[in-house]
Amino acid sequence: MITVLANIDAIFRKELQGYFKSPLSYVIAGFFWILTALFLILVSQNIIDQVTQSDLGRQMGQGGAGPIDVPNIILQNFLSVMGSILLFILPVLSMNLYTEERRRGTLELLATSPITNWAVACGKLLAVLTFVIALIVPIGLLEFFLFSRAKPAMPLQGFLVGHLGLVLLAAAVLSLGMFISSLNDSAIVAAFLTFVLVLLLWIFDFLGQAVSGPLGEVLKHLSLLKHYTSLSQGVLDSPSVVVFASYVVLGLFLTAQSIDLIRFQQS
Amino acid sequence: MIDVEHLSKVYGSTTAIQDVTFQAEPGEILGLLGPNGAGKTTTMRVLSGYLPASKGTARVAGYEVHENPMAVRQRIGYLPETPPLYPEMTVEDYLNFVARIKGVSAGDRATKIDSALTRCTLQEKRKVHIRKLSKGFRQRVGIAQAIVHDPPAIILDEPTVGLDPRQIIEVRNLIKNLAGQTTILLSTHILPEVSMTCDRVAIINKGRLVSAGTLDDLMLQLSGGMRYELEVEGDRPFIAEQLQRIIGLASVDWLGAEGLPQGRHKLRVSTDTNTEFGNQIAATLVKSQVGLHEMRRVGASLEDVFLQLTTEETALDVADAEPSAPPEQDGEPIEELEEVE
Repeated sequence: MITVLANIDAIFRKELQGYFKSPLSYVIAGFFWILTALFLILVSQNIIDQVTQSDLGRQMGQGGAGPIDVPNIILQNFLSVMGSILLFILPVLSMNLYTEERRRGTLELLATSPITNWAVACGKLLAVLTFVIALIVPIGLLEFFLFSRAKPAMPLQGFLVGHLGLVLLAAAVLSLGMFISSLNDSAIVAAFLTFVLVLLLWIFDFLGQAVSGPLGEVLKHLSLLKHYTSLSQGVLDSPSVVVFASYVVLGLFLTAQSIDLIRFQQS
Repeated sequence: MIDVEHLSKVYGSTTAIQDVTFQAEPGEILGLLGPNGAGKTTTMRVLSGYLPASKGTARVAGYEVHENPMAVRQRIGYLPETPPLYPEMTVEDYLNFVARIKGVSAGDRATKIDSALTRCTLQEKRKVHIRKLSKGFRQRVGIAQAIVHDPPAIILDEPTVGLDPRQIIEVRNLIKNLAGQTTILLSTHILPEVSMTCDRVAIINKGRLVSAGTLDDLMLQLSGGMRYELEVEGDRPFIAEQLQRIIGLASVDWLGAEGLPQGRHKLRVSTDTNTEFGNQIAATLVKSQVGLHEMRRVGASLEDVFLQLTTEETALDVADAEPSAPPEQDGEPIEELEEVE
C-alpha cells in the first residue's frame, strides 16, 4: 500500500512538474482566467440590472417579485458559465496525458517498472486535477471578494458545494479524456474525441428531458450537466457525487485496461 | 541470472520467436545477435515483462517473468531501442523520477543517482535538460536510467544504434565497465559489437535460436576446419584438379582475379578437420609447376559465421525439423551446414 502511494506520488510530481514547464498550461490558464473573470463581471452586471429594474417596478407599484437573493443567483449563473468554459478546456488538458507517453516510448519505461497501470493513471489524474483546481482557486477568491460585502451574505455552503461540483465535473471528464488519450498517439484526435464525448454527455441532458419513460430517466442520470447543476445550486446530494465518482473510476479502469491492451497489440 | 527456456511468442498468425533457450550467467555480457526482425526485441520485451510470452518460461534472478512480474521489474534495468526519455526534464530530475518508480527508497536515492551519473560519466550534464543533449548523451542517460536502481540484470536493446563512431566506442566501454557487478543482455545486429563487448553470444534468426556459446567456441564449432587463401598462376581446371588430389580437402573456391596480373587467380581452400594442410598444398602446387605467389591461413571471421548462420536456409530447415532439440545439440544443424557447403 505504501509503495502504491509512493508510486502515485512519483507520477503525480512528474506530471505536475510537466505542467509548470509546458507553455500550453500557461496559455490555458491565461485564457481561462481572462474569460471567467470577464463572465463574472458580465453575469453580475446583468443580474444586478435585472434586479434593479424589478426593484424599480416594485417601487412604482407594479408589484413584482419579492426580495431576491442576488448573491445566490449570481453564483448559480456564474458556476454554470464556468462549467461550460471548463468543458471546452478539459479536452485540451487531457489530450496529452497518454498520447505523449506513447509517442516518446516512455510508456515502455512505465510498463517495465514495478508500478501498476492503476497507479500511473491515478497519479496522472490527480496531477491534472490539481492543475484544474489551481485554475479555479483564484476565480473562487475573486467571487469571494465580490460577495464579501453582499447583503444577504453569500451562502457559504452553496459556494463550497458549487465549486466542489465543478471539481467533480472536471475529474469525471478528465478521467474519460485520459482513457481516450490512451487509445491513440495523436493529441489532436484525443482532444477532438474527448470534446465529442463531452458534447454527447451534454446531449444526454437534452434527450433526457425530451424522452419520457425509463430511457429518459437513464439518460438524465448519465448526464453530467444535470448532476453538476444540482450541485451548483448548493445541494450536496449523494447520487450526484456517486455518478461523478463512477465516471472517474470508469475512466481509470478503462485506462488501465487499454494500457494493458497496447502491450498485447504491439508487434 | 537470466534464464530463458523454450520461449515462444506468437502475434496472431505470425510467430515472432519460437522455442528460444539460453542462459546468462551472473556478471557476464551476453550478446543477442541476429538480423533485423529476428525476434531480438520481442525476446527482450518478454524478459522485461513488457510482453507476455505465448509459451515457455523466462526467469530473471530466479523469478518467473509472468508469475512474478513486479519482482522481476524491480530486478532488471531495461533500455528499449529508443531511450524512454522526457525531453523537458533535466538529467537529474529524470533519474530521480525513474528511481522513484523503480522503488528506490528516499534515503538511497541521492547516492544511487550519483553513482549512476558517475558510471555513465554524466556528472557535468546533471542539470541539463534532456532535449538539449546529443544523441550519444541521450543514450547514456538511457543506460543510467537502466542502472539507477542497481539491478542485478540489465537488458539493452541495440544500445549503439544510430550513434556516431566515437559515441559507439564510448557506449561500448561504458557497457563493458558495467559488467562484473551486473549481468548484461544486449542485442545487436552489428557483428563487431559482439566480438568487442560480449563474453558469450546467442544467435537468433527468424525467431529461432541458431547457436549459443562463447565466441571462440562458436568460431571453432562453425569453422570446423582450416582455410587457406592462395594467389596462384596457371590453368584453373588443372590447378583445381591437382588440389583435389590432396586427401582431406573439402572444397576449392575461386575468389576471382580482380586487380591481379594476367593469368593469376585467387582461391580459397577449405578443410574439414583441424589438421594443417599448408605443407601439402604448397608441395603439390610446386610439384605440378603452378606458380604460387601468396598463401595464408585464414580463420573463420564471425562475419562469415554470421552470414552462414543467417543466409543458409538448409541449416535452418534442419533446425526446423527438430524444434524440441535441446540447446546442447546446436552443433547438429551446423555440421549439416558444412556438408551443404
